[in-house]
Amino acid sequence: MNELPLSGIRIIDFSWIIAGPTAARHLALMGAEVIKVGSSRRPDPSTKGSPYQVYNQSKEYCALNLSNKDSKNIAIDLISTADVVIENFAAGVFDRMGFDYETLREYRPDIILLSSAGTGHTGPDKNFVAYGSLLQHYTGWNTISGYGDGNPIKGGLWADPWVGMELSMILMAAINHRMESGKGQYIDYSMAESLTASISSSILDYQISGKLSEPNGNKSLNKYPHGLYKCLGTDKWVSISIDNNIQWNEFCELINQVKWVNNSDFNTVEKRKLYELEIDKVINDWTKLQEDYDVMHILQAIGIEAAPSLDISRVYSDPSLYESGFLSNHVFADGTEKMLPTLPWNFTNISDFELSAAPNIGDSNEKIYLDLLGIDIKIYKDLIEKKVIY
Amino acid sequence: MDSDNATGLLGGLKVLELGSYVSAPYCALTLAKLGADVIKIEPPTGDESRKEITLGLNANDKGISSLFLSLNHNKKSVVLDLDILEDQKRFLKLAESTDIIVENTPIEYLRKRNLDFDKLKENNASLIMISILPFGEGNAYSDYVASDLSLFHMSGNAHGIIGPVKDPDTEPPLRAGGYQADMVAGLTATTASMIALHKKMKTGIGCHVIVSAFEAMVTMAISGLANTAFGKPHPTRKLQEQEGSSIGGMVSAIGGVLPCIDGFVAISPREDAQWERWVEMMGHPDWAEDERFNTRSARENNVEDLWVFLSEWSLTKSKYDISRDGQNRRIPCFPVNTIEDLLRDSHLEYREFFMNIEHPELGLLKYPSLPYKLNNVTVPVPSRPAPNLGFHNKVFFNETGS
Repeated sequence: MNELPLSGIRIIDFSWIIAGPTAARHLALMGAEVIKVGSSRRPDPSTKGSPYQVYNQSKEYCALNLSNKDSKNIAIDLISTADVVIENFAAGVFDRMGFDYETLREYRPDIILLSSAGTGHTGPDKNFVAYGSLLQHYTGWNTISGYGDGNPIKGGLWADPWVGMELSMILMAAINHRMESGKGQYIDYSMAESLTASISSSILDYQISGKLSEPNGNKSLNKYPHGLYKCLGTDKWVSISIDNNIQWNEFCELINQVKWVNNSDFNTVEKRKLYELEIDKVINDWTKLQEDYDVMHILQAIGIEAAPSLDISRVYSDPSLYESGFLSNHVFADGTEKMLPTLPWNFTNISDFELSAAPNIGDSNEKIYLDLLGIDIKIYKDLIEKKVIY
Repeated sequence: MDSDNATGLLGGLKVLELGSYVSAPYCALTLAKLGADVIKIEPPTGDESRKEITLGLNANDKGISSLFLSLNHNKKSVVLDLDILEDQKRFLKLAESTDIIVENTPIEYLRKRNLDFDKLKENNASLIMISILPFGEGNAYSDYVASDLSLFHMSGNAHGIIGPVKDPDTEPPLRAGGYQADMVAGLTATTASMIALHKKMKTGIGCHVIVSAFEAMVTMAISGLANTAFGKPHPTRKLQEQEGSSIGGMVSAIGGVLPCIDGFVAISPREDAQWERWVEMMGHPDWAEDERFNTRSARENNVEDLWVFLSEWSLTKSKYDISRDGQNRRIPCFPVNTIEDLLRDSHLEYREFFMNIEHPELGLLKYPSLPYKLNNVTVPVPSRPAPNLGFHNKVFFNETGS
């Protein structure tokens, strides 16, 4: 009953940097056994930054030098025990290492192999070198963002965490399908397509009308007031969105603009937009003397949407994230402690995650090579000596 | 569930969507594309997204908008007025034979009508219910409301969108276009639903999962959060305090957008080795020898000057030529694609990324399919267009659809 939802699933995670490790992270926290495999010869580039400590929570980490040919049998033995293999090298790299899907199937017929790459593993542009920040431009995200002055801006959210969430979704769907059908799966994932898929309504807009709505910043086509207003302090802003006329009237009373309450010149979005400059000025005069959080609490108390526009250090200080347990304490090997993010959901009637701090490379060597694979201790030491386990 | 190829990954899975606008409908859409049977419950006035303004369409007439079409294909539409007893009973009946309910009603909405998880599981012990709430449950903001605007801003994601500005007190942070915050909440809910389904398949135990849209969006800024936890100061939005590495809203190091004859190209020859190959591609212009530009750190300190030179060069060229020549030299660079470009992109065409769905009034339109190919099943499953409001009432309740 209290077993974690994903206990019993074993994932061998050859992925690195952000998207792949993030996908494995979600499943590790939910109880899957995730064994990260990497080498000190060419370490995961994320290792040197603090985010590594989040991307790799609750994982095992063993060292294996895949550029040494003697490592291949060990990797295959490890994969043979696994349900899932994850990799996010450039397209073709994992195949050339000898770990293509057909080969892996010989050792584990129902293996699920997830391969994620910038533009996928087939097609004329499959070898394109990609950074997530460039993909945002390539995928159309930027055409719908900005102030409408024509200059492309970074089109949206950072691609990698988004992709990480979708990768864990499709992996779980494939695992569940295997429980029913007995069939494994090769998943060829394209980061670029993931971003393009998320602007589907704009893609339809363009086909229906031959044009696109102008990017309109913080504004909305359907609502007004809807935007950011200045608060006390440098770079402090609050978002406000009025949903309907009842809210409009209550809002005007609150900010002492009784002349606009139940006024037929202001009772639709279209009419209010005619007075946009005047209304925005009045709202700004009201917000600019207040703390952003105070504006949120005052307006939310009467059901009106408002929230501070936070920089990331203020997000980290937001009390709700501690109250909900999203930020939870991690104890590191050296005894230090940190509050770090967990998962954005709560499984209310079952235990939903287990937490341990991210491992260092090689921390799990003995557990995996000696206990799980049963490698003889002398051979194990020899493999370390020869920098196969490295 | 059965494993027939024609039914995708989730054939036989029964899903009820009590969803409005974007988050819950996006979650259920993915399940539908993967083969689940999705019944969408709409109020008599229809899903909010039916009223979204679409250029070239008079939306309010027929309850069709590009947003609604894009989020609801392959679903069945059933209209229920959950404020009246008869329809509450119909809802309870449908819930009895459902595997997963996905919903984003306001907090307490279902409890007030005695239709909450505890009630529903009385007749369906292994029910899974996924509830998307703006701020989750059990914290000080739980009864607060938030749309895409506030979720984007409060989660820290808006501070990075436009990059540094001259005066952060007159140029506010910016949310991205589209519906990304709501979609992140929906995507997160889909992942949670597949984890809950796994538990149910293994043990027969259902569960109620609360997804916090705010925390889902904070998860998109997780690296910044980790940096903060370990004491790194947050990036400034003030241009003067910026250490010269951000152009055109790019995130870090040397990278940005160059103007071309036919649009823009996004480039990032950030490492010295990449830069050498880039200079070779430009035909070794004299200015590139300048000590302001001959190392990565020098380029980072002289970004503005560098971009003037690069732009002069790129303005006479095509974005496609630059990106192809650059990629041939293993330099990360991509054309900045418009929607029109995407619809005729040969790579996406090769991968059959777009799927055609015939709509009775709008004709054949291209929809994004799914960003992954599977070898043992075909997804997405063949799709019907988004249904008219209440089209399937007659199927379930022997009545005429409206």
